[in-house]
Amino acid sequence: MKFYYFHLMPYVMDHDEPSSWVTLSNRHYDPAVGHTLYHQYLDQLEFAEALGWDGICVNEHHQNCYGTMPSPNVMAAMLVRRTTRAKIAILGNGLPLRENPLRIAEEIAMLDVVSGGRIVSGFVRGIGAEYYSTAVNPTHSRERFYEAADLILRAWTEPGPFAFDGKFYRYPFVNPWPRPLQQPHPPVWCPSQGSSETVEWAAKRRFPYLMVFTPLKRIAQIYGEYREACERNGYTASPYQLTVNLPICVAENDRKAEAIAREHALWVYHVGLRMLPPYWQPPGYTTEASLKRLLATRGKMPTELTYEDLEEGGYIICGSPATVRDKLRVFSDELKAGIVCSGMNGGSHEATLDMMRMFSEEVMPHFRQDAAIDETASVGR
Amino acid sequence: MPEPSRITVRDTPVDLLRDGSGPPLLFLHGAGGGGRWLTFQERLAGRFDVLAPSHPGHGGSPAAEWIEHISDLAFHYLDLLDTLGLDRVHLAGASFGGWIAAEMATMASHRFDSLVLIDPVGIKVEGWIYPFLFGMELPQLVATVFHNPMAALALAPPDMSIDTLALLYRQNTALARVGWNPYLYNPLLRRRLARIATPTLLAWGAHDRLAPLVCAEAWRKEIPGATLRVFEDSGHVPHLEEPEAVAAAVGEFCLARKGTP
Repeated sequence: MKFYYFHLMPYVMDHDEPSSWVTLSNRHYDPAVGHTLYHQYLDQLEFAEALGWDGICVNEHHQNCYGTMPSPNVMAAMLVRRTTRAKIAILGNGLPLRENPLRIAEEIAMLDVVSGGRIVSGFVRGIGAEYYSTAVNPTHSRERFYEAADLILRAWTEPGPFAFDGKFYRYPFVNPWPRPLQQPHPPVWCPSQGSSETVEWAAKRRFPYLMVFTPLKRIAQIYGEYREACERNGYTASPYQLTVNLPICVAENDRKAEAIAREHALWVYHVGLRMLPPYWQPPGYTTEASLKRLLATRGKMPTELTYEDLEEGGYIICGSPATVRDKLRVFSDELKAGIVCSGMNGGSHEATLDMMRMFSEEVMPHFRQDAAIDETASVGR
Repeated sequence: MPEPSRITVRDTPVDLLRDGSGPPLLFLHGAGGGGRWLTFQERLAGRFDVLAPSHPGHGGSPAAEWIEHISDLAFHYLDLLDTLGLDRVHLAGASFGGWIAAEMATMASHRFDSLVLIDPVGIKVEGWIYPFLFGMELPQLVATVFHNPMAALALAPPDMSIDTLALLYRQNTALARVGWNPYLYNPLLRRRLARIATPTLLAWGAHDRLAPLVCAEAWRKEIPGATLRVFEDSGHVPHLEEPEAVAAAVGEFCLARKGTP
């Protein structure tokens, strides 16, 4: 199994506002605190490479305290020159949020060339709140996503110049310099929450599917749908197409790990993902079929999840190294997921580094039968 | 309430409520008003042949994927008049429906004997930005749209079933498609308003918090000869908040301007 260290780069704070997104005033943001946080978070990502993680991950979110990386490519650029081996996974760029997505093709190609071909390029639509923050029409979200993806993939693979004349994006000359180093292009991943439209789209293109912050039961169901979609498209999914993103909390024993998770890991759900209901589902962001399915299976909102829900539901992995190993085996052996992306939060920078060290020494080595395999070799393209 | 009938306008299915007698009056509803026959329409039906279609994606009319812009809706309703063989009508619209009506009048004002715009959105007004309804929860939404919150009950959904929630989402989606950004206006419309040769009544709620009276003044300035009538006990939807008074004013205005052949 491959391990990627994932960072949200949250601005951890408490507040009583109804939403941590869109409307939470940025007067709460202290740039001096932000300076320290950014450096600690980048140190953690660089440390992950030193400890043996296979990849390190950044991602894009706008106008919130949950994740302070409005431009993931900027963060990736900082990591590219400070690391030498690990993959740098951008999970992902919000394609429909860009007015000029050719810029994404250019930036990823730059990063890929400088990094010597270590970039994994996630394509996402952005979550609902993003459409309030960027003013992009959410009823265009899916169409813009497909069109921008098509543009970027063609820009990477077809010799330029060529003309592109889409519904949303039009260019008389597509001819980006540089071209990406990885051929035919950097691997593309699809982080998602399980809409059947995205599952089909990703499976058709052999793009790995990444389930983000989802309960175990639903991960199993969506993996099943993805595998079936791959079979329909004439091939069997590789384990490295099945990826999961979930927080891990490891400590000397179960009790201590639980105490840390209760104090720190819950923040993501209870504060970080607190938002007004309209922000989850802006109009037209979801198809009516998907919306009806969501309503029929309506679970708890993130802010309603208790520690027990998260633990028992498999939203997070928490415990002693032995417990964490057992829980990870559900992913490696039962779900046959090839890649686990996870962030950690020990409560302080130092405690987080200690937790990472413990994980790398006492958990990771037990899952290294595939150490010689390049997980990006034959998928994502 | 009349039974809805299903008509087809250039391949687009439309649910139409139609009742009353007198000269034809096309009423274009605002957001959330599709498929409803309320006191306002009932009163108008005493003096007019009232046609109240549901916009595509609203009420019982299915969503129409081809609609990308507010002018698509305006052409859709000009097509609807052609389909029904109505050469000239009185045209009235509320809020979002007023926006569509104003677009139609800039295109073909010769087809309208009179134009009534009830708190329309649709133009950019200096010094005012429409509050972003799409980001509001129900209490804030009601407080923004209604001066008299009890009037909101007329638009309350019948239940919270999955089908009803899906309908509300479909309606919001149809509105967002043409009104998310630029938010609730067409940058090209304001200059075109001078083309409207139809006698125009602007009916406005004194306490409109979505499009306040400063907007009414802008419309009055741009539409030649437009009359402004303010309703003192209303917010954004005077036809729901003071239906009797607004229906009376509309009847009086329109019937005083009987069509010239």
